Amino acid sequence: MIDDLEDLLKAAVVEVFGTMIGLQVQLEPPHAPVVNTGATIAGAVGFIGRVTGVVYIYAPVELAVRLTEKLLHLSASEIEQKELVNDSMGELANMIVGHLKSRLSDRGLSCAMTIPSIVRGTNFQIEPVSSTIRRVFSFRSLEHQLVVEIMLRPESQA
Amino acid sequence: MGRKILTVDDSRTIRLIVTRAFKDYDIDMFEAQNGVEGLAVAARERPDLIILDYTMPLMDGYEMLTKLKSDPGLKSIPVIMLTAEAGRESVLKIAKQGVRDYLIKPFREEVIVERVSRIIDLKPKGEATLKARRYDDALQILVVDDKQAIIGQIGSGLKDTAWQIEGAASTALAMESCGRAVPDVVLISLSLPENGAYTLFQMMRAGARTKSVPVFGLCVKTAVEEQARAQQVGFSGIITKPIDFEDVKLKLTRALGLDTSYKYFSQKDGVLVLQLPPTFNPTVASDILLHLRNQVTGAVDAGLDKLVIDMSPLKTADITLIKLGLSSLQLCSELAVKSALIGSEAVTKECKNYEETKDLRFVTSHAEALSVLGVQPAVA
Repeated sequence: MIDDLEDLLKAAVVEVFGTMIGLQVQLEPPHAPVVNTGATIAGAVGFIGRVTGVVYIYAPVELAVRLTEKLLHLSASEIEQKELVNDSMGELANMIVGHLKSRLSDRGLSCAMTIPSIVRGTNFQIEPVSSTIRRVFSFRSLEHQLVVEIMLRPESQA
Repeated sequence: MGRKILTVDDSRTIRLIVTRAFKDYDIDMFEAQNGVEGLAVAARERPDLIILDYTMPLMDGYEMLTKLKSDPGLKSIPVIMLTAEAGRESVLKIAKQGVRDYLIKPFREEVIVERVSRIIDLKPKGEATLKARRYDDALQILVVDDKQAIIGQIGSGLKDTAWQIEGAASTALAMESCGRAVPDVVLISLSLPENGAYTLFQMMRAGARTKSVPVFGLCVKTAVEEQARAQQVGFSGIITKPIDFEDVKLKLTRALGLDTSYKYFSQKDGVLVLQLPPTFNPTVASDILLHLRNQVTGAVDAGLDKLVIDMSPLKTADITLIKLGLSSLQLCSELAVKSALIGSEAVTKECKNYEETKDLRFVTSHAEALSVLGVQPAVA
C-alpha cells in the first residue's frame, strides 16, 4: 500500500505540473539530498477518512514565483502580492492531493480533503510525530528542487 | 452584449486561470470566493453559466448548487462543477444535483472552453479588437511539417519580423502545441502522412479556441491537385515552395488583418507624411493603397489637411510608383487636401518622361515641403 501510494503521489505531481503549467518535472534519485536553505514556501493539504495524512510541497521562493508566473502567464513584476504566490502553491498542493484522493476513493478508501495552507520561512523543517509514516520525494523543475512529502497515520493503512 | 460567466472558487489562481481562458471571447467574467458570495453575484448578475468549485470555505460548491437549484430565478442557470475530486462517489453526488458538466483539476484551458462552448455560444471578441494587431507584434506562427529543414527555413525567412515560429513534426504534436497556446496562424504541410494536414485542419476547426485561427497549406508549386483540395476544404490560403517570404508576409498580414500603416504613415509638424521605403515594390504599393484613404480621411478628421509624399529614399521611378503617386494626388484633390512631393533627382527626372507626371513639382527636403504647404516647422 505504501509503495502504491508513492507511485500515485509521484504520478499526481507529474500530471498536475504537466497539465496546469506545461512543465515536465524530473524525479530525482531516491535519497537525493534535500536542500532546505534560503526562503522556502510549503503548501499543505490534508486528507482524513479511511486514509488520513497530509501532503506538503516545498519550493524555494524563486521557484514558487516562477511557477506562479507560468501558471498565470504573468511576469514577475505583475505578481505584486506574495499572496498570489501562496495561493498558487496552495492550489498546486490541492490538485496533487485531489488527484491522489480520487485514486484512493475509487478503491474504497474515501477521505475528505482540507483546504490548503501555506508556511513561509527560511531554514525550517516540519517534523512528524514518531509514529507517522513519512515519505519524501524530490523533483527537479526549472533548475530548482521541488520536494513533495507525504505523512500518513499508520492505522489508516489498508 | 457579451455572455456572462460566473466563476466561484476560493482560489484566486483558479479564478484568474478561468478568466484568462475566455479572454479571446466576448464574455463578461464575474468572480466569487465562496458559495455565499457566489449566490449573491448570481442573483445580481444572472450569469449565463456558472463554473463552480466543490471544496470551498464558508459554503462549499455542493451547498451552493443545492441552493441554486431551489431558487426559481436561478435554477435554470447551467453549472459546470470544477473540482479536484474525481472519485466515483463525488461525481455521482454532483451529477444527482443536476450539473450540466464537471471538470477535474488539473485541467487545460482549452478543455474548459470546449466544455463551456457546448452549453453557451462563445463568440470571439469583435473584429475591431482583432484588427488592432500590428505587423510588428510578436505573433505566434505554428509550422507543422515532418521536415525539420522546412521549419528551419521558415524561421530564417521570417527572422526580420518579430514573429515567433514554433515547429511541430506531426498532427499530435501540433495539437499539443495548440493546447499550450493557441497560435495566431498555422502553416501545415499538405504532404503530411496519412492525410495529417486535413485531420489537423478538421480538429482545429472543431475546437472552440482554434476554429478561427487562419490555416495555410504548404506544398510544392506543382502540386495543383493538393492546392485545389486544400482550398475546397477551407484552408485560408496556400503557400507554395520554393517559398517566397515577401509573399508569405503579405498573405499572413492580410489573413490576420495586421496593421501596417505605421510603416508608411506618420504625423510630423502638423502634416501627414507618407514615407515610401527604399524597398518599394508592387507589394508595398498595394499595402500603402490599402491604408491610404483611411489614413488621409483620418488625418482630415483630426484637423490635418496637408500631405507630404516623401519619395526621397527611391532612386528610380517606375510605373508602380507613378500609379501610387497619382492615386495619392487624386485622393488629396477629392478631399481638398494640399500635398507636396519630395523626390530624388533621379525620380524627378524620370517623372518628366510621363505625360501624367511631367508637370509635377518636386522638392528635395521635408523643410521645403513644409514651405510649399505654407507650414511653419515645429520648434525643436
